[in-house]
Amino acid sequence: MKPDISEVLIELSALVARNAAPDIPPADRAGALGLTAALLAIAGRQWDEAAHNLALENRSIRSLLTIPGEDLDIRISTLSAENARLRALLIERHVEVEGRDSRAEAEIWAELVASTARRLAPGSPV
Amino acid sequence: MTSMGLEARIEDYLAGRMPHASDLRVSGLARISGGASRETYRFRLSWQESGALQSRALILRRDPPASLIDTERRIEFEAYRAFFGSTVPVPEMLWLEESSGALDHPFFIAAEIEGFQAAPALLWTEPYLAAHEKLAERKWTILGEIGRSDPAVLGLTTVMAAVAPEACWSRELGYWEGVLDDDQTEPLPITRAAIRWLRANPPPPPERLAVVHGDYRTGNFLFDQTGEIHGVLDWEMAHLGDPLEDLGWSLNPVWTFGRDLAGGLVPNAQAVAIWERSSGLKADPAALQWWTLFNCVKGQAIWVSSARAWIDGGNREPIMVYPPWALQNAQDRAILKVMGHL
Repeated sequence: MKPDISEVLIELSALVARNAAPDIPPADRAGALGLTAALLAIAGRQWDEAAHNLALENRSIRSLLTIPGEDLDIRISTLSAENARLRALLIERHVEVEGRDSRAEAEIWAELVASTARRLAPGSPV
Repeated sequence: MTSMGLEARIEDYLAGRMPHASDLRVSGLARISGGASRETYRFRLSWQESGALQSRALILRRDPPASLIDTERRIEFEAYRAFFGSTVPVPEMLWLEESSGALDHPFFIAAEIEGFQAAPALLWTEPYLAAHEKLAERKWTILGEIGRSDPAVLGLTTVMAAVAPEACWSRELGYWEGVLDDDQTEPLPITRAAIRWLRANPPPPPERLAVVHGDYRTGNFLFDQTGEIHGVLDWEMAHLGDPLEDLGWSLNPVWTFGRDLAGGLVPNAQAVAIWERSSGLKADPAALQWWTLFNCVKGQAIWVSSARAWIDGGNREPIMVYPPWALQNAQDRAILKVMGHL
């Protein structure tokens, strides 16, 4: 998820601190804090699931592309970088099989559908 | 940047634009939340003229330091002006300033249409729930009227870039694919697959070239409790093109607000029927599917640009984080849905 959660949380802490000042116009404060609350809710959900989902997805894509490897460093930044590398390879593979190998294509679409289920944010409109 | 407050700087600017006015005062200046591509403020201007005290509610739309949409504010300004007084309700445009001297960034000032709502969340509460049918009728009727209007008669062919009918789809897709190429922060396998499908299955040329609003959706117009629409807002992506483009954006599943209805209001088929009746055009189902999927790609490009603007440090407002966090995955799911994979 971009921008990175950790960087956004640091920025939001500064925003909340600025809005604690007594001279902030109420409309500005309401706008800033309302959005902050929505972002914290998304970050809160991701806090528990992010590493698990990235590791799960990386394993799934490696299996699909028959690429060896495993995630030994489970920091979210490392898992995300590996996820980006694998999803770039998935795009290449998708292009290769499109219109040529319907079974491989269906497997890729199934993985892509699953990837959006893993990333579902609270209150997602779709 | 000057150390004067924004109120005083607006007063200085308007004093130069209103030679018959004196004692100009800006009061009640407040930022309206939600605008990520322009900073929007509401204020009241009072002044003396011909011996009488006058007052008017106004809106200031100013470019932010970095936006999620790069647009020409003159095109937006002229689009509003072209439709003012027509059956497409829009606020009256008053002043356009394209230099950065007066308020640090280009801006325009318009009359405020007072007393109505734009927030979609209100629509799922009483008394608005009872007005959905009427609101949908007005929403897609007005969109049809935009689609049937003649851009040359409106004077917009002199400010908007010309496009050949057969190039409408490729110009738009090329532009937004370029935005994705420039701004994406991580690989987007679903969006890239959609782009490949769009290129392999182009739509026919439009029945007629029209003004495309570019962001016509629930949330970008002012409504009342009876379902009447009093102002169509946010013309910043307006351009010439295929009127089906706007219809497709209005059917983008991210604008269902989780209700599985077009714009959160009525079934897709009903929205399309209203639009066809109003525009006098036929929405070919295959062409409409193309434009709906295209608009999913366009949406993704906008959400990705928002993330890029935040990451690069040009705009650290929380509104820039919300689209990529809350809508990027939803937009991918919308693509899956339109392509029949979800």
